Amino acid sequence: MPSFENITNAIHTWLTTHLSAGWAFFIELVLVGVAAIALFAALGLVLVLMERRVAAWMQIRLGPNRVGPKGMLQSLADTIKLIMKEGLTPEGADKFLFNVAPYVVMIAAMLLLAPIGFARNLQIWDLNIGVLYISAISSISVIGILMAGWASNNKYSLMGAMRSGAQIVSYELSAGLSVLAIVVLTGSLRISDIVQSQETGWWIFKGHLPAIIAFVIFIIAVTAETNRAPFDLAEAESELTAGFHTEYSGMKFALFFLAEYINIFIVCAIGATLFFGGWMPFHIGHWDGFNHVMDYIPSSVWFFGKTFGLIFLIMWFRWTFPRLRVDQLLNLEWKYLLPISMVNLVLVTLVAIKQWHF
Amino acid sequence: MFITNYIKEVWGAVKSLAKGMKLTGYYFTHHKEIITQEYPDNRAELVLPERFRGEVVMKHDEHNEHACTGCTACELACPNGTIKIITKFDISPEGKKKKALDTFIYHLELCTMCNMCIEACPTDAIKMAQNFEHSVYDRRQLTKKLNRPGSKIREGVE
Amino acid sequence: MSASVIIFYCIAACILAAAVLSVTTTRIFRSAIWLLFCLMGVGALYFWMDLQFIAAVQIIVYVGGIVVLIIFSIFLTQQSGKKMPAPPGGRGLYALLATLFGLGLTASLIYQHHFAAVEAPGAFTADVAQVGEQMLSTTEHGYVLPFEVVSVLLLAAMIGCIVIAMKEPVNKKDKPELK
Repeated sequence: MPSFENITNAIHTWLTTHLSAGWAFFIELVLVGVAAIALFAALGLVLVLMERRVAAWMQIRLGPNRVGPKGMLQSLADTIKLIMKEGLTPEGADKFLFNVAPYVVMIAAMLLLAPIGFARNLQIWDLNIGVLYISAISSISVIGILMAGWASNNKYSLMGAMRSGAQIVSYELSAGLSVLAIVVLTGSLRISDIVQSQETGWWIFKGHLPAIIAFVIFIIAVTAETNRAPFDLAEAESELTAGFHTEYSGMKFALFFLAEYINIFIVCAIGATLFFGGWMPFHIGHWDGFNHVMDYIPSSVWFFGKTFGLIFLIMWFRWTFPRLRVDQLLNLEWKYLLPISMVNLVLVTLVAIKQWHF
Repeated sequence: MFITNYIKEVWGAVKSLAKGMKLTGYYFTHHKEIITQEYPDNRAELVLPERFRGEVVMKHDEHNEHACTGCTACELACPNGTIKIITKFDISPEGKKKKALDTFIYHLELCTMCNMCIEACPTDAIKMAQNFEHSVYDRRQLTKKLNRPGSKIREGVE
Repeated sequence: MSASVIIFYCIAACILAAAVLSVTTTRIFRSAIWLLFCLMGVGALYFWMDLQFIAAVQIIVYVGGIVVLIIFSIFLTQQSGKKMPAPPGGRGLYALLATLFGLGLTASLIYQHHFAAVEAPGAFTADVAQVGEQMLSTTEHGYVLPFEVVSVLLLAAMIGCIVIAMKEPVNKKDKPELK
């Protein structure tokens, strides 16, 4: 059966036999970069279409259904439109920062791809602090948003950026604490170790109630961190037109838009890795026959299936809940999520020390 | 106690959020209840609700007669001067002068479809039609004369 | 010159350029952004040394915490969008002299110290578990006392913030309408 593992191994052996080690490494770097950009483009097209479809069906509508079969090519048409549009820079804007900001956001999103395990033995960089690396790099994208808000020289952008900054800085705490719950159970920050520890069962089942609470807090916190509804008051269109990207148009706007969807994909991939076992197939205790059937499904299918399930959950939130006010947003974080996740961390530690998990 | 209230509050919040998600989840899985219409495609069989207000028209019967007495109640009721009524004086067979409608001018471009004129009309001479495709290339075409040429008031309508 | 050395010089050049730009620009927000790039360069240097934990902490603390704080205070300042006037010439000269003195002092100290060559480069590792144990150990080179003292300091700072930010409890009988 062809798997990603075989393909990457074949490329690696071919390169190392034909070239020196340094050049082989360099070419592999280039290939990884190209693959990452291709993944970004594909994800952007698929996720935008998926969002519009899910939104339509939840609101008893049909959704895009004109361009291509069943509207499949709608997001491609949108991309072409965005490429053709003129990229304006407003007068009085800080031109350098205005033009750099979308790239900062995009590069931060790109760097986050590195430690994610896409399939069995398919990981760009398996560094030993994987989870910590993710929370470190994701804080860079805040800077991009703040830069965009400031450089636009527009009051809506500035207010959107400030709201976004306050929101991301506060929700990072509870997201970090809920990730820490799984780190306590696993005893490692390395993504491959975390995946390997779920061979006998996913943490959401093995970790009892504390793991479920941690998962709920995680999904709420990452929804807030990616600035999505019901926490989208950073770009609240009815109050701030579009928040920090009000002044952006054309391809620079497209980069912000794409980075938003890539960030959703990445946080859902992390959620799937931590709580649902990443690429690990679904196994039940001693049902060997069932487990063998599950093993036949390729690991990349498992990974993308789980990730898209979580993305669907986040989209479901978006099209169900109304937007929070700023004070409600901060109340939710500081009075509910943070205390609950701290108590939950103590519970998880108890579970881990007493070995109550399976 | 504080802790029990806190837990109750969190539980209530989770329950109400789940309720909302259940409803949208139901819509997501039941595609038959689509409420939107694929408009230009289903133009032939398009059915608009009865109360839809497209434009004001004057009712004419088969003898080309209408019920408008030219009382200008609709013109007075209109909040933004959409209707202009020009009256004339008919000479009845007995030789008496009687006020009658000459031209009913209706500015569609000013109309907000508020239905006030229809409610004000004492003889029920005008109504709201369901036609909504109003776009034209020249805005002068939007100023309409509602009584048909040669029409006259129906017998017995005062 | 191996690729690793070239990468080192690239990172170092970026750090230095960002640092110089951060003190010479006349716009306060750009200054903060150049400081950010400088700190991120230091983080990259840690990654280059394969000290991933220290690098991640550098980025979390400085980029996610301190620079965001600086940017927020710039946002909340009046007239922060205006260009600042360039400092008078004399002051620049003194600043240059102070910098050169600092550079000379550091350079002379570095040249006087005899660094022992590392046997095998890359063998220097700092495992996260080791860092954690060292942080909480009570043995000779343990850091449990400074760790606890710092946490007490942070707690005091947090309580102070809450006291400053706390509103006077509103008496409902006096003011029936809450804003």
